Amino acid sequence: MGCSLKNPAARRFVYRSLTANAVYIVLIVSTALYFHRFHPHGPLAYLLAVLPAIAIFAVIVSLGVYLVEEKDEFQRNLMVELLLWGLGGVLVITSAWGSLETFVHIPHLMPTMTYSLFWIFVGISWPFLLRKYR
Amino acid sequence: MKERKPNMGCLQKNPAIRRYLWRFIPTMVAYVVVLLFVEWFVHRYHPAGALLDGMAVLPAIPLIGVIAIVGMYLAEEKDEFLRNLQIQSMLWGLGAIMALTTVWGFLQIFTPIHRFQPFMTFPLFWCFQGIAAGVLQRRYR
Repeated sequence: MGCSLKNPAARRFVYRSLTANAVYIVLIVSTALYFHRFHPHGPLAYLLAVLPAIAIFAVIVSLGVYLVEEKDEFQRNLMVELLLWGLGGVLVITSAWGSLETFVHIPHLMPTMTYSLFWIFVGISWPFLLRKYR
Repeated sequence: MKERKPNMGCLQKNPAIRRYLWRFIPTMVAYVVVLLFVEWFVHRYHPAGALLDGMAVLPAIPLIGVIAIVGMYLAEEKDEFLRNLQIQSMLWGLGAIMALTTVWGFLQIFTPIHRFQPFMTFPLFWCFQGIAAGVLQRRYR
């Protein structure tokens, strides 16, 4: 994990996800500007709103492709473990937040936060897993 | 090499799955009981402040327990094939829930769509995981 760019599958994953993230930034900025300026409605508004999500899909797909392409079983298992910790973190937060939102007046958790929270938990668990397998 | 098939017909013969079920079922029963109790209590006594916050978090505790139980199952499962099947279906579920919440999130930002309730993430994830598990079982049959 320390020098993952030497690993061809990890290198491809990094390039793909970086490209998808760059596309995401372009799409989200242009969509927000378009809505701000032209106030679209109807099917066009729905279509435009979904556009930035396509780049996020691409990141999810590139993760799946990495898991398929990764020849090193240890690295693949490490990534799977990271993803499962990320998943667990997201489910814990959304369940607790959902309960609080139902009964207490707390700010609404935007669904787009799920994706960010997932990566935050992946990032948090990374050093712990590195320590575990050192 | 003998071809492996998912041993889904007689799950209780597998000690890890048996333990998982013995932990999972009471936890889900506890979830229903706690949820109904909190609904009733809040509706009847209208608590406020710290008590309400505490009551509001209560139903999430069994759900967090379920997540821990699934983690324990993955750690305890000796059969690598079954563990991989579970992990694969969970990863499909993860991908699907990320895709759904992202699309819904952007629709919520830009269009007048209904709010997505965060507590729906948990059941929806298990729906997607269940669909993926069914498809994977068919694939390995």
